[in-house]
Amino acid sequence: MAIPTGATAYKKKDGALTLTPDQKTVIWTPSSAAAGPPTLSLSISNITNLQQTPDTVAKVMLKIFERSAESAEPVSYLFHFNSPSDPRAEANAIKNLLSRLIADAKSNDPNLPKPASGAATPVGAGSGSLASIAFAGTTNSKSMVARLFDDDALRGDIALQQSLLKADRNLSQMYMEGRKTKPDSMSDTNFNAHFWSARINLLRAHAIESSQKRGPYNVLAHVKPILVPNEDPSKQSELKIKVTQEQISAIMSQHPLLKRIFNENVPPLNQNEFWERFFLSKLSKKLRGERPTGLEMPDKIFDKYDEYEDITAFSSKLLAQHVPHIINIEGNEENQGGFKSGNRKDVEMRPRGRTDVPIMQTLNSLSEKLLANVLPADNDPESSTGVDEDTYQELTLRDLQGDIEEHRIMLNIREQSRFFSSDSGGASETAATFSRQNPTKVLGGVQGDLRGLTHDGLGGVNIHSSLSIDDGSESDDEEKPQPHVGSRESRKDAQKQILDSMLQRRAQLYGHGPDDTTPMGLPMEIASHCNLTHATTMEFLHQFWSAFLSGDPERAAELGYLAEALKRSKDRIEVVAVEAEKAREEQIKKRRAEIVQIYERTNKRVKFNTKSIRGGREAVTKLMEPVVYSLDKAAADYQKALGAEGLQASTEL
Amino acid sequence: MNRIDASEHYDESGFTGQTPSLLTVVIDTNPRAWAAIHDLLPISKAIANILVFINAHLAYGNENQVAVLAAHTNRAVWLYPVSPNPEHPPLARRRNGSAKDVEMAGPDHHGHRPREPQLGTSANKYPQFAKIESSILASLRSLIDSTSPSDLNPTTLISGALSMALSYIHKTSLAFESPKTSADPANPTTTPSAKTAVPNLHARILVLSVSQSEPAQYIPTMNAVFAASHARIPIDTLALYSAPTFLQQAAFITNGVFLSAAANPRGLLTYLMFGFLADVDARASLVVPTQDSVDFRAACFCHRNVVDTGFVCSICLSIFCDVPENAECLTCGTKLALGNYGAKPAVIPRKKKKRKRVNGGGREETGSATGTPGPA
Repeated sequence: MAIPTGATAYKKKDGALTLTPDQKTVIWTPSSAAAGPPTLSLSISNITNLQQTPDTVAKVMLKIFERSAESAEPVSYLFHFNSPSDPRAEANAIKNLLSRLIADAKSNDPNLPKPASGAATPVGAGSGSLASIAFAGTTNSKSMVARLFDDDALRGDIALQQSLLKADRNLSQMYMEGRKTKPDSMSDTNFNAHFWSARINLLRAHAIESSQKRGPYNVLAHVKPILVPNEDPSKQSELKIKVTQEQISAIMSQHPLLKRIFNENVPPLNQNEFWERFFLSKLSKKLRGERPTGLEMPDKIFDKYDEYEDITAFSSKLLAQHVPHIINIEGNEENQGGFKSGNRKDVEMRPRGRTDVPIMQTLNSLSEKLLANVLPADNDPESSTGVDEDTYQELTLRDLQGDIEEHRIMLNIREQSRFFSSDSGGASETAATFSRQNPTKVLGGVQGDLRGLTHDGLGGVNIHSSLSIDDGSESDDEEKPQPHVGSRESRKDAQKQILDSMLQRRAQLYGHGPDDTTPMGLPMEIASHCNLTHATTMEFLHQFWSAFLSGDPERAAELGYLAEALKRSKDRIEVVAVEAEKAREEQIKKRRAEIVQIYERTNKRVKFNTKSIRGGREAVTKLMEPVVYSLDKAAADYQKALGAEGLQASTEL
Repeated sequence: MNRIDASEHYDESGFTGQTPSLLTVVIDTNPRAWAAIHDLLPISKAIANILVFINAHLAYGNENQVAVLAAHTNRAVWLYPVSPNPEHPPLARRRNGSAKDVEMAGPDHHGHRPREPQLGTSANKYPQFAKIESSILASLRSLIDSTSPSDLNPTTLISGALSMALSYIHKTSLAFESPKTSADPANPTTTPSAKTAVPNLHARILVLSVSQSEPAQYIPTMNAVFAASHARIPIDTLALYSAPTFLQQAAFITNGVFLSAAANPRGLLTYLMFGFLADVDARASLVVPTQDSVDFRAACFCHRNVVDTGFVCSICLSIFCDVPENAECLTCGTKLALGNYGAKPAVIPRKKKKRKRVNGGGREETGSATGTPGPA
């Protein structure tokens, strides 16, 4: 096949894009030095992606993404096809060849488990399609898996980010808000990079989530007839079956026998009739693994076929493909004269075992079929030399081999008391108090005090007098009595403290009723503003600290933007506070008007305390207090660092 | 039988249904701290108040029990019930006595005989109350008397007292368990499934704290706290002086009550009766007063400082106030990767003019999300 060549411009220089004769490298040679060596050569095996302008666009460009061994980031090369005759055709020729070569290179990748060469041994109809499905699965999964673990790829994948933003409304709100309110000096690209680099985990999760598909399932078992009572009571109720097109194709691929019957009979029959008869037939019951009741209507077509054909044909093919002889039970059977001798008869796994329990066989065969469509996790045991070792290993009875040495990471704990040697550097207030004390005096005091406990004369304590609670005296304390232990005043204070903390606790436990939607009496709308402002502020804080602590002078300019963004965050909080205050005033005004109305109607005055309307600036300030604190802290640290460099923030920004 | 003696009308379920409650009081007997608040609340008054509280607890139920411990500056001592091993305290005292010299062994010391609880025979006092009272007083006096000035550390061994309290609670709950299981086959009509779910003993620990938490005791204290939390034993704390950080955390972790009466220690009895009398069962249906803000700071493993931000070993979770030497975890020896921590924040671009150009060019060219590699 002739290797196509395209007249292209690369970096505004004309040249020719083509492939080397061995079809391993893409080369571009400038026309100014056409005879010389190519200035650009890309190995096909390193090309990760191709992009082409759509056919509708006049400009024809091809972008090749190459990932060399050392760099994690794919580098893109843009070629502009500018041939005077037919640039589109040239571009297509090169692109088609390239994509074929890339696909080949990927499928020959030795790192990949190769799908069995199923197409070579067609046993039943449809086996080819199975193999090709498996094949497609392999090629896709390779690039996908690699992408999932590559932070840079995730960060650069704008389509993925868009789809995540679409899926997560909160995140997208935050993104938009952050983007809107970022300082102008910060570029969108920069903001994007920051935003996503803090959320690689979300991206990865989303990529994994969106790359997963539902696997095949036992369709026939899912298709169940529904008894629909006829509107006319005199007639019999009808059985209805709903089958979708996908389900039919799945049934076909899972039951090659049915596909064959369909092929052989459908021209005379029409499709609907075919399925109608099939679902009523004995065969359908048998394929589902149900026991025929004997009440099925005899069917000329379907009764001809034996469901074992479906079961055995596939399993023998599967065995031939995948089971190495060393663990091939059917092979053993041939060697040892069947299962009549030796071990107890196997019931479940016999290809033609108990006909009275048909479900075992159908289920087994179906499971095998389903699994055949799935990408194999293990290597094909027969594919190459050396792999057989693994098969042997699989066969060994591990529990006969004694204890395996444990491969654990040792955690050596050193005696902790070692660190707590002697000195306790208690530089606290109490330590200061204690240091002023005279130990002997202290002891003597406590001893004396203990001895001074009021005795009741019989070796016990006169508790009543010790408590010094005098119920009589306190009723009229005009003259303040000496404060003492158990005085009314002290008891009152204690009671108040306890009641207060109970109130506090109660509010924590049960909250104020509507606090879920309107925290601290803020209307829902303003509460959501608060939420959003908080989230964006946290986002900027996050970015600020990661830049600030990186100590990377390259990020210093960026740090400037971020510091500015923090300053603006405070303004934004202020705006929300003003908004909340306005809302609260409106509420108050409304309530006042209501009261006036009531007064005019009924001549009754309704008491109104403006304090009963919560929310407003106060609530916002309270909610945002920690954020404001952290903003101040960040700003102060930044100022300090600037000061250390001998600069004023204002001049720099 | 029942019919004959006409005792049918007694509904015994009301009595058997009551789960005994064990209150373990740990009294912090740090003499320095008590001396410091002597003017506000002398220890003698405090003891009297605690006795009232204990009596109230006992009066609540026939099967209620109490245990009292002293967390002293150099050891933890049982005040009630008295240690079954009576050899120990006199021995210790004798050793102390021989070690110290005459100045300490005054006539008072010799004349006092702490190990003989004289039962108060006052007719006005319930004998069990009197017994507990005299035991506590005698043990406490002997404890204080046997303390020498050199023992006066600034803080107490609260972790030891907690461990002793926990082991006592465990022992007691075992004692309650055996008769129940043996009784079960005798009357199988009782619902065994419900019984197993209900604990046979409601235990709680009340710490009357006057000293600050010592960071050195952080690990043992937390171990005790987690054990208590596992056994569903709340640790309540009433702080009369200073701020026992770890006990605050203990109350939080074990669902206990933490109250600080440091501002008003004279109201001790009210605090006790109002805040701490309810047992675990009753608390389920009460709103308990507890401090809403908890000091969650931990002590670092290297210098025993209480830290608010620090470093945690990713392998063994040891806490450090500063990067340990060679970035090697002191406990498990793991080499810790610090990333680029400690880098001096760079606030000024290195070469301003050049950088601007590079930045602009970079944006034009790539348009990708990643930054442009700058000048090396």
